[in-house]
Amino acid sequence: MYDAHIEFRNINKVFPGQQALKDVSLTIQRGEVHALLGENGAGKSTLLNILHGVFGPTSGEVRINGQPAAFANVHDAIRTGVIKVHQEINLVPEMTVMQNIFLGCEITRRGIVDKRAMQLETQRLLSGLGCRFSPDERVNHLNVGEMQMVQIAKAIHLRASIVSFDEPTFSLTAREVETLFDRILRLKAEGITILYISHKLDEIYRICDRATVLRDGAYIGTFPVARLPKERLIRSMVGRDVAMFAKRHRPRCVDWQDVVLRVKSASGNTGFQDISFSLHRGEILGFFGLVGAGRTETMRGIFGADRLTGGTVEMFGQEVAIKSPADATAQRLGLAPENRKTQGFVRVLNNLDNISLASLDKFQVGPFQLRRAKETSARRVGAKINLTPNDPGFFTTNLSGGNQQKVVIAKWLTTDAEILMLDEPTKGIDVGAKAEIYALMEELVHQGKAIIMVSGELPEIIGMSDRIVVMHDGRISAILNRDEFDETRILTYAVGGSGDAPEAISKEQ
Amino acid sequence: MRSGGAAMRLKQFLKNNSREVGLVVALVVMTALFGAINPLYVSPANITDIINQATIYGLMALGMTFIVISGGIDLSIGSVLALIGVIVANMAVAGVHPLLCVAVGIAIGFGVGAMNGFMVAKMNLQPFVATLGAMSFIRGFAYVISGGYPIIGIPPGYRVLVDGLLVSGIRTSVLIFLTVAVICHILLKHTKFGNYTYAIGGNEEATRLSGVKVDRYKILVYAVGVSCTAVAALVQLGKLGTGEASAGQGYELNAIAAVAIGGASMAGGRGGIVGTVLGALLFAGLKVGLIVVGVDTFWQYVATGLVIVVAAYSEKIQAKLSETPGRVRAWGAQPSGARRAADD
Repeated sequence: MYDAHIEFRNINKVFPGQQALKDVSLTIQRGEVHALLGENGAGKSTLLNILHGVFGPTSGEVRINGQPAAFANVHDAIRTGVIKVHQEINLVPEMTVMQNIFLGCEITRRGIVDKRAMQLETQRLLSGLGCRFSPDERVNHLNVGEMQMVQIAKAIHLRASIVSFDEPTFSLTAREVETLFDRILRLKAEGITILYISHKLDEIYRICDRATVLRDGAYIGTFPVARLPKERLIRSMVGRDVAMFAKRHRPRCVDWQDVVLRVKSASGNTGFQDISFSLHRGEILGFFGLVGAGRTETMRGIFGADRLTGGTVEMFGQEVAIKSPADATAQRLGLAPENRKTQGFVRVLNNLDNISLASLDKFQVGPFQLRRAKETSARRVGAKINLTPNDPGFFTTNLSGGNQQKVVIAKWLTTDAEILMLDEPTKGIDVGAKAEIYALMEELVHQGKAIIMVSGELPEIIGMSDRIVVMHDGRISAILNRDEFDETRILTYAVGGSGDAPEAISKEQ
Repeated sequence: MRSGGAAMRLKQFLKNNSREVGLVVALVVMTALFGAINPLYVSPANITDIINQATIYGLMALGMTFIVISGGIDLSIGSVLALIGVIVANMAVAGVHPLLCVAVGIAIGFGVGAMNGFMVAKMNLQPFVATLGAMSFIRGFAYVISGGYPIIGIPPGYRVLVDGLLVSGIRTSVLIFLTVAVICHILLKHTKFGNYTYAIGGNEEATRLSGVKVDRYKILVYAVGVSCTAVAALVQLGKLGTGEASAGQGYELNAIAAVAIGGASMAGGRGGIVGTVLGALLFAGLKVGLIVVGVDTFWQYVATGLVIVVAAYSEKIQAKLSETPGRVRAWGAQPSGARRAADD
């Protein structure tokens, strides 16, 4: 019995400089739990955003119950019963559970809010979900799992027929995950269609009926989960021609004798544990993992942006105490953060001031800053990295993504940084700029610097790295040498699987 | 060719300093307008009066400029003016050397500012709330110290130092204002401290991740900022000849108004000393002008308020014009919505 609830027909979505979805067509059956799978950037969230009216497709259409459904905005979608349980919880933290559930649709009697009626209804919803908190509890007193329950209660209250979850287990404990799965299956039993995005394959196998795989914005296939081996699923997610442009052009230059950074059992309460690895002069060390694996947090911990709760960091053979980014900078460590726009550079400053921000001491004479010297230096480093336009007076925020990233890197090149941690250095930038960043990285390691490159893109990590650290769930699951680079294998470690050939793992102590 | 280059440079200058140029134009237009209605307005005596009036607000506004650019605000400076006034008045009356009085006054300002900065940077309080508290307890201390009585009998030696007549019509206080303004401008534009003040106001997290000791500099920003109010207090004491615990009430708002008119963004990261000085002159000129042309006292408040709102709105429009989509697209930057979605 085939009952099409949602149909995506030839969906294309073009963003400036990038095609996020390419002619995607698929059908979701009524009352199934349907997984959307793919690597970071495969187009899963874009597809959901189109369904929920966040933005429209460039071409193609979405049909619900056979009717074209082009929601003008999110509220339209919600009114029609198409509801998303958010990755970042979108509730008003200062308001109560009841107020949140009825936000925008309060029950009123002659203009006065009918608290009693709303309370009764909220209580009914909460008991239906087996929740033990009160309707009058303020949302900021709830934990993440409970907040999710409030969102689900709200979805039921709004008579949702389609509910989608985007990485719902992202910050849940194991017990909360169980509760969530139980409720999702209850929603399913009530005939609600569920879309489910997750990077954790175990979850897919536990609760999903079918799975659709997307890759680079293209539809790869839809499979019944029960009859699909995990290995084939992984392969269909990756399976692409590696290293079209992410590759090294010059001979490798790692000095294996010279350890510039050694991290021993570093842990932090931002979500990483027992991290041990070493970095050598002239090495590009890739850090791979899926969203939420703790890579960014690890980098921030080492850099002193968040506190390490355990472990030691040695630089150039000496143990160092890094308690703040200022300490890290003094130790010749630099970080290009994942979120360039909000953490990498200052919007109101021009290239000159952004490039020199970390190295003003160099331009200090007496109490004054030498503007001339600063400008000369900015122009020189700008030329070296091919900054376009190489104009110190130009505002960084008006540059393209690739050039913004170059400014962030230029900032660290202006310091005496010997070790650069580049967190997703090519995220959201076009292919040409990517190639330039890769060439720049190669140039830097040839000058004797060492680079840690955090990336969620397999071709990039395989093409550029000398070794790869794979993280899963806040821990290192493998450290691979070049002869062990293999997409399926890396991804298997990244999703928490044990390697097919465990003896080959060269995990450092 | 040469003149073409000069024209280009002039155009660039006007573009980079559009706010300041706009303020000068507004100042000229306003002066001409008031002068046309009542020629007395442009008499030398009246002009010096305006400048004298601008001195106190102006000094306070200079300090507030740093704080506002760093993304903060300080509501306590009106109270600080009173506190330093009564302490230094007591010292001066007791016969302490005027220069020592000045040094102590500035030290108190620096200390109070550092305390405000500590509350903001280390205790993580919102600047508005922290300095609202400070505003009240500093005023309280001023009353406690003075017992509520005005302190009179400031020796002439002190008064001449801070507000003596230099040449006809020009007082030392004006010279002090200009000197402090120049120092502030250099601090803001040509030192590390100034660079960090803009960077912190623009994006504190990015600045911290660049290895800047953000907390330390935020404390310093408030310390320097309130030190300017200390100078204002010292000058005010010389002008009035009495120290009073009730002095300076509401002055913080005038200082903020001057800074806002001068083009600083309350969100931080934008602003300058030249703008603030012009803002203070415009503000004082407006107040005097409304009196000179005979506008009813009550309407003066209305007019002043409107000017602040209009000035703030013109800043918004300017900000919008300097970030036209055309210019952004020229270098291929993506709109933020697209980037968010592309991050998937």
